[in-house]
Amino acid sequence: MSGADMPRAAEEREVADTAPVARIPLQRFGATYWIALSASAAGVVLLGVTVATLLRFGTGVWGTNVPHVWGFDLINYVWWIGIANAASLLAVVLVLRRHGLRTAVNRFAEAAALAAVVAAGLYPILHLGRPWLFFWVFPYPATYQVWPQFRSTLIWDFWGITAHVLVTGLFWYIGLIPDLATMRDRAARQGRLVVARLYGVFALGWRGSVCHWSRHQAAYRLVAALLLPLLLAAQTVVALEFATTLVPDWHQARLPLHVVVTGLPSGLGLVLALAAMLRRTLGLHAFIDAGDMDLLSRLTAAASLASLWIYAEGLLFGLVLEDAVAREAMLVRVTGTYAAYYWAGLLLTAILPQLLWSRRIGLSTATAVPLGLCAAAGAWFDRYSIVVAGIERTNLPVARPLYVPSDAEWMLLLGTGGLFVLLLLLFARLVPVVSMYETRHEEAESEAA
Amino acid sequence: MTQPAGMIAEFADAEEMLAALRAARKAGWRRLDAYAPYPVPEAAELLAVRGWPVAAITVAAGLAGAVLQYGTQYYLNVVDYPINVGGRPLHAWPVFLPATYIVAVLWAAIAALVGMLVLNRLPRLHHPVFAAPGFDRASEDRFFLCLFVDEPGFDAAHAEHLLRGFDALRISPVPAA
Repeated sequence: MSGADMPRAAEEREVADTAPVARIPLQRFGATYWIALSASAAGVVLLGVTVATLLRFGTGVWGTNVPHVWGFDLINYVWWIGIANAASLLAVVLVLRRHGLRTAVNRFAEAAALAAVVAAGLYPILHLGRPWLFFWVFPYPATYQVWPQFRSTLIWDFWGITAHVLVTGLFWYIGLIPDLATMRDRAARQGRLVVARLYGVFALGWRGSVCHWSRHQAAYRLVAALLLPLLLAAQTVVALEFATTLVPDWHQARLPLHVVVTGLPSGLGLVLALAAMLRRTLGLHAFIDAGDMDLLSRLTAAASLASLWIYAEGLLFGLVLEDAVAREAMLVRVTGTYAAYYWAGLLLTAILPQLLWSRRIGLSTATAVPLGLCAAAGAWFDRYSIVVAGIERTNLPVARPLYVPSDAEWMLLLGTGGLFVLLLLLFARLVPVVSMYETRHEEAESEAA
Repeated sequence: MTQPAGMIAEFADAEEMLAALRAARKAGWRRLDAYAPYPVPEAAELLAVRGWPVAAITVAAGLAGAVLQYGTQYYLNVVDYPINVGGRPLHAWPVFLPATYIVAVLWAAIAALVGMLVLNRLPRLHHPVFAAPGFDRASEDRFFLCLFVDEPGFDAAHAEHLLRGFDALRISPVPAA
């Protein structure tokens, strides 16, 4: 054809430069990364050992007993789910409102939610007693012609957790497809064909056609909208299962609300800590800017203010307005053997994060990371107090041992923590941590405006 | 020289690509596509592509999932395997609702991804435009307009003439697959 080719290097760039984000997965990994990766992998090995022990010896290796039939299995499940929910909720709201903050935090908020749901999903299976028979809750034509009992809440758990893992994963993956295509093309340009093929397989042949974009955006927003009601269901159904029991401290209409609201600062705090660590360690200051960090830390502070309100409401109802049995149960929670857990939860989720209203504290990595992680830890103390402390004062004339988590349970918590960190570390180095196409899109929109 | 699959023009910004796309539509091109590193809704509109069919598939799949889940629960617990639990009703509809609603969401979300992929005819191993020079930057910072010439009456010279009227960085033939 005619010599229509023009030099391409000289002219100025019209589209936001996202190369610094795309470069991260294609670089060599540093020593710190390998150390962190090995440490979290060791956690996953520990998880494997604990699960094997549990399968071999049964739930007797745990500290649970009558009346404390639920321990770390439920505490940690509800805690991880709370983190996943708040992180997902943030991502969903940002996508649906087309908020500017989405470009910076969406991708890793979704990834954190996915990793937390995976960690959470292990507990309900493991606490079944005979985990290898978990598929019995699925309606399949069994040899004995027995069907699951759909009037049992166990069925809600099965569908709820399956749907939560899959839909959270879909939300993350749909948003990732165009960015995987960018990675494929960059890797190919560098001549790294194996890497390019790997990204290419997951990019599904994406070529950036404007027709494809239109349907892709529809699908992405639809899944975001679908995830919204699922989040409320995931968290409230667990709390509802508590509320449907006759235990005085659990048998409360406010319990689902309490669990949802105190879950918010835990997930947002974790996203804030992740944002601060990612922008520092990966040098993403241009993509996760001071404005984003400021907004995120104030959002965490606001969620923690809502938690303060829900704690105050709990104290008012539990100690003043409820009947005598419920009042006594609440009093045991705030003054009994496990009182420290209650107050630690209140302090870490509802009071300490108030410091994040200060711009200086929210913007500094040295303060934002510990405060965010403290908010997440606070929710764990709260779940401990809900699950364990409420039953200390039993209404039956029986011997009542206290609940003390066993080594096997601590190892399980440590193990799922390792799994969570491992998934996030892999995510941070294998796929773009910031949504590149959203960054370009937002830049283009703000120029047009 | 064999006839190419089409002619492709590379642009540095979306506006210029949109102008060329508008002109091509006006000139009656039917087999054409535009490529961008981020969503350009105006371009999709010019190509008469909308997102609502994805939504229709999603809603339909959600409803189908809900009906199937509720029906399964009803049939198994009331008809096929009724168990009397302390005289409680077999058709306990409030208890059937959480799973119905959760499974509806699950079906809808999976249908959103699958529907989007089917309508986009993805996944696909290869496409002729990938062979166009510099096309790897369509996923980064360049905009492309491709006029396919596999229809009678629309040939490469015609396409090149049309694309020349705009501020393209380069115009090249797309090799036939």
